[in-house]
Amino acid sequence: MNNEHESKEIIKNIFFEVFPNLDKNDFSWEKEQKDYENWDSFAQLNLITFAEAKFDISLTLEESIEIKSANDLLKIVKQYLV
Amino acid sequence: MNLIDFLRKNVENHGDKVAIIDNHKEITFFQLYGEVEKFSNNIEILNQEKIISLVSENSISFIIAYLGIINSGKIVHLISPEISEMNLFNQLKSSESKNIICNQLMKNKISNFDSIKTTIFEIEEILLKHNNKKVKSNVNELAYLIYTSGTTSEPKGVTVSHSMIEFTTKNIVKMLGYSSSDIDLLPLPLNHSFGLGCIHTSLYVGSTLVLLKNASNLEEILESLKKYKITTLAVIPATLTKILNFKNEKIKKYFSQIRLIITNSTAIPKKTVIQYKEILKKGNLATYYGLTEASRSTFMIFDKNNQREESVGKCSPNVKIEIVNEEKNNLKIGDILIKGDNVIKKYWNNIEADKNIFDGWLKTGDTGYFDKEGYLFLKGRSDEIINVGGEKVMPIEIEQSVKNISGVEDAVAFGIVHEVFGQTIKLNVIKSKNSDIDKSQILSHCIKNLEKFKIPSKIDFVKKIPKTDYGKVKRFMLK
Repeated sequence: MNNEHESKEIIKNIFFEVFPNLDKNDFSWEKEQKDYENWDSFAQLNLITFAEAKFDISLTLEESIEIKSANDLLKIVKQYLV
Repeated sequence: MNLIDFLRKNVENHGDKVAIIDNHKEITFFQLYGEVEKFSNNIEILNQEKIISLVSENSISFIIAYLGIINSGKIVHLISPEISEMNLFNQLKSSESKNIICNQLMKNKISNFDSIKTTIFEIEEILLKHNNKKVKSNVNELAYLIYTSGTTSEPKGVTVSHSMIEFTTKNIVKMLGYSSSDIDLLPLPLNHSFGLGCIHTSLYVGSTLVLLKNASNLEEILESLKKYKITTLAVIPATLTKILNFKNEKIKKYFSQIRLIITNSTAIPKKTVIQYKEILKKGNLATYYGLTEASRSTFMIFDKNNQREESVGKCSPNVKIEIVNEEKNNLKIGDILIKGDNVIKKYWNNIEADKNIFDGWLKTGDTGYFDKEGYLFLKGRSDEIINVGGEKVMPIEIEQSVKNISGVEDAVAFGIVHEVFGQTIKLNVIKSKNSDIDKSQILSHCIKNLEKFKIPSKIDFVKKIPKTDYGKVKRFMLK
């Protein structure tokens, strides 16, 4: 089971993989979808796919749609890891 | 020239030469011709029939029966020994065949099929008969009928004529350099265009053919290379990839005398091609693109100076290929059409399928493109396209990319229903032996190498991917 620190690291790395142009200094947990240059519906799908694979979980459609920031993804993942 | 002429030529040129080796049995061209004639005479009882079904494992007897039926002026309907009862029932109904000739094992199997009322004869029983009346050979225009494997649709009956066989065989010999000095190892089922083409080629040039029952025993293949001093080997790409699990030094030793490995156009992993280029010191790996309906339409020889490991090569002599797309540009992806003397004129009793043939052009259902030097690259079948939120994705592109990951033995991509996108991509992966690769590693590879709409949304590790005998994925069985 991942602790919160590990989970945060994994999610950060997911964002860097899905958004390869994202600078380490530009990452913010609160930064929203609209502020990302390439966060379209396919990137959203990729974020969810990575999270499901890394944490061995399966998100519902409603949860998937709710994700608008790294923080949103972290919150949802934490619910599964309790 | 028909197949019987091929055989007669060898009887005249070198009748005492060994034509076929099957386990501990050998038969010379002279003996083979004698057995073929005997078989033709002994099936005189079936003379009213236009078509006879043949099903057997690989053996000398199979080849005698195949040529014997042709020599008697009939069409051979070739059936896979793995056939299901329902499929056999449908093929017999469509082909209008009233008789099955088979080996004893198949006779036992088919006799247990309640729905099959067709008369069954054993090959060996026919050969043991004594019929002194000599039947005049009168070879039919058509040689054989095969029902295509139906990887994406219902099987269709394809009839192949002697003139198509002659045309294709001459192209094989010209492009791949077969000669009477070759010793050809064939561990492929003989009820398919690939295996049959190899038999025809051996008969045409008068080489010696070494038959194996199948390709499941890799040690047997390697030992046969050494034992029979094999010069050419015909196998599907999956067999080649599996052989690479042996130690490199061992493989190099066994393949040291091979001048040619020929494989079919089921996508060969790029890394497999590169490794065989290194292994084959005195020879080449080659592939071809073809369908039962248009055999050997291209050839590709993977020589060390050509880096197109994912191409199926250039058009065969006197075969035309066109790419049909909105841009009318052969360099852009589109539907593949083929025209030439290797292309069927029509399907067997199938008006609907005949719509795929017009003015000599066969619409293959495959998609691909040419590069500027005329090398063809396949991109999958048009009916396999996955539509991810309006973006069209060819599974082969994902599969080729993933197969290049170390630790992946095989992979297949296909569409699954998605509430938002309509379809997304699922990937089933077989891990290599001792591989500890996980889903994240595969996704990381995909995101670095593919556009984001091509990233699989779901990955499963599986033990097996459903395939035909010739390595084509049975996509309708994927889930």
